[in-house]
Amino acid sequence: MTARLYAGAAALALFAGMAHADGHQPFAVGEGGFSWDSFTAFADKYDLSGQTVEITGAWTGNEKEKVDAVFSYFESATGATVNYSGSDSFEQDIVISTRSGSAPNLAAFPQPGLAADLASQGLLSPLPEGSAAWIADNYAAGQSWVDLGTYADADGNDQTYGLFYRVDVKSLVWFSPIAFDEAGYDIPETMEELKELTDQIVDDGGTPWCIGLGSGAATGWPATDWVEEMMLRTQPPAVYDQWVSNEMKFDDPAIIAAMDEFGYFALNDDYVDGGSTAVANTDFRDSPAGLFAIPPSCYMHRQASFIPAFFPEGTEVGEDVDFFYFPAYEGKDLGKPVLGAGALFAITNPSEATNAMIEFLKLPVSHELWMAQGGFLTPHKGVNPETYASDSLRAQGEILLNATTFRFDASDLMPGEIGAGAFWTGMVDYTTGTPAADVARGIQERWDAIQ
Amino acid sequence: MDNIAGTKSSLSWAVHISVVALVVLWLIPTVGLLVSSFRDRDAITATGWWLSPFSVEQAYRVQPELDGVTEDNGYSVLEGNLFGAEGSGEVSGFGITARAPNAASPGQVYARFNVDVEEPDGTIDDTRLELAYPVGSDPAFPETDDDGNRILTDTAVLDRSLEAQVNGDFRYVSEGELRRAPSLYVTSLSPPRFSLENYRTILFSNGMDVAFINTFTVTIPATIIPILIAAFAAYALAWMDFKGRGFLIAMVVGLLVVPLQLALVPLLQLHNKVGIGQSFLGIWLAHTGFGLPLAIYLLRNYMVGLPRDIIESAKVDGATDFQVFTKIVLPLSFPALASFAIFQFLWVWNDLLVAKVFLPSNSESWVMTVKIADDLLGSRGGDWGILAGAAFISIAVPLAVFFTMQRYLVRGLLAGSVK
Repeated sequence: MTARLYAGAAALALFAGMAHADGHQPFAVGEGGFSWDSFTAFADKYDLSGQTVEITGAWTGNEKEKVDAVFSYFESATGATVNYSGSDSFEQDIVISTRSGSAPNLAAFPQPGLAADLASQGLLSPLPEGSAAWIADNYAAGQSWVDLGTYADADGNDQTYGLFYRVDVKSLVWFSPIAFDEAGYDIPETMEELKELTDQIVDDGGTPWCIGLGSGAATGWPATDWVEEMMLRTQPPAVYDQWVSNEMKFDDPAIIAAMDEFGYFALNDDYVDGGSTAVANTDFRDSPAGLFAIPPSCYMHRQASFIPAFFPEGTEVGEDVDFFYFPAYEGKDLGKPVLGAGALFAITNPSEATNAMIEFLKLPVSHELWMAQGGFLTPHKGVNPETYASDSLRAQGEILLNATTFRFDASDLMPGEIGAGAFWTGMVDYTTGTPAADVARGIQERWDAIQ
Repeated sequence: MDNIAGTKSSLSWAVHISVVALVVLWLIPTVGLLVSSFRDRDAITATGWWLSPFSVEQAYRVQPELDGVTEDNGYSVLEGNLFGAEGSGEVSGFGITARAPNAASPGQVYARFNVDVEEPDGTIDDTRLELAYPVGSDPAFPETDDDGNRILTDTAVLDRSLEAQVNGDFRYVSEGELRRAPSLYVTSLSPPRFSLENYRTILFSNGMDVAFINTFTVTIPATIIPILIAAFAAYALAWMDFKGRGFLIAMVVGLLVVPLQLALVPLLQLHNKVGIGQSFLGIWLAHTGFGLPLAIYLLRNYMVGLPRDIIESAKVDGATDFQVFTKIVLPLSFPALASFAIFQFLWVWNDLLVAKVFLPSNSESWVMTVKIADDLLGSRGGDWGILAGAAFISIAVPLAVFFTMQRYLVRGLLAGSVK
């Protein structure tokens, strides 16, 4: 009885799987601006018929469709089967499956902190030989990407585990060009101008900013981005690195000052939609809605390049909404720092087909295929920028490639307890009235406790 | 003395009111969820569910196409309807900036003038002045502007103006040539909007049928197996005398407080070692294990309360333990079995965590909860409407189960069996 039920379910599942396996390759091989040469060379080199690559990651819904389309080209090139499954609770799932021995072949980590944790427990396998040199040569600011993907293994030796694929630029301010046009506002080039504009909007009777920190269990993370941006704009990058590694204590005056720079915007009732008390209560997914309200409930929203996914349906980036670079202080001479984050692939269960997939992900075409579907930025220097889905994405890609300083999201690099815990909740406390010095001291105490 | 036992307390109305209040309090979130399940994401972001039954005054930006622009004295004139060629509606206000979308009412002209002003110290400056006035009449300029400067009316030059009627007909006049569509703003009452779109998305999404069947494939065995095992165990712990019985009962009660999350990794490791791996068989075993402590505890406590006389007289008549169990204890325990079955069914049906751990992660083995959480909710889970709709769809089967099983939860099954 049970065996039959089981077989029945399996047969049904198989049938359903076949029904929607085919026919979602959005671009014909050989057409368009894609680097198909590398693709055909790759297809000639590998024949992996009958092999399977199991991949898990945090991309779900519409992002899963896009990444599935990319993998379908791997399937048609090699004959192997790719099973990608996205999970909303990827961070927990991957820990359970690697520890209990049912790990997938590859995992797409949304941030490096967790990958470093797993690597130190010996649950990841290093990338194939030569990958580190390849990344250094082919990614813009290559060595920094190698460093972000290099972790200590179980014996404490550094090895390269992570191949970055899909990067977000965080230093963007979104605004409605129509609203700016009607009010006669110019895009600020410096932080001083941005603060002036903020005051001018208040003088004109408007509200300049929409800030929302709500994100379920992760409430507070958008504020950590703000503080990181402010660190890069008030301190040299070396200080930022010391902060990440805790060589500089969290309650150092430099960091408290950066928090207060965020507070300059977020704690002023006139500057934020709904007043400063609304900051911690507004969901980050809902907060950009104020840009599109009539009358506008805010004029600017600082958020990473992924946020257009949460704009109201039918919004066109470039027409209804646009972005400018979150500017740096003119008076501080720190260049044009850019904050970013990104997902990386790491091998959790090695196989021949898995190594081939890593090689595939190094091809420019695997990046271009997602670039052309939208919502994807890459530091890969070999890609054809013409394949970006829109001008605005191309412009974001240029911000990434032209940054004088690029730094990775600090909270993603700090130990999980801090970067995905104390820092988040600390920022919620800060926006609800706790002084910056107390918040910083609290976070440092937690950090001391785990060391 | 009006509170003597047997007479109705005068405070009974207070009890009734508090019961009603509690029920309403309990229902509010559910009603909110139900209302939200009929609204789309943008509407949910815009207003709370409690405002959804009312018409709201909503402002729109209209960018009319530049068809039939005529020229008049250096001004471009564009005429049309704010609701488009086919649309209809009732204009309650209109304007030419997003900041003041209802600056004028229908039948008026709303115009922006460039005008010179004289500051108190006599210097002449220019400013922009926006005002509304009835169609056909001349604009009535105020004496001074907001800053208290005197307006030199003769210098006023029209920059742009918009006139609109209630039915949406408008006339837009702008200095120079119109190069791109102007942004016009109009407010009108929009009726409440409800749709079944969320339910359609959920029910007809790719693979929902498989997920539904998978949920049954998990739930039914995972409900039956623990009941079978627990009924035997409970009988033994209640009515059979053996050494260490008390200790065993204490162990079972102790297991009730162990969080199942502790067991996830070791249990999956064990499954991988014995070759079950991630499979339906594995999840049945896992749910059985996680459900057994409560099942045994519940059933034992019920069975131990059955009258000793019935069981002893059966034994005197020569019944074996197995016969006592199947012929007497099991039928009498039906209410307890049914209530545990409801518990276990609901818990397994709603389970997300155990399904994620013990079933393969590919989409062919997704149960409904996983399908909803990982596929339908969209990237980073922004679709609240889908979440609300999915809650009501997934609640349908457990509700049916509850109401069919409920009739077994009869009281007084034992009434009159023992004198």
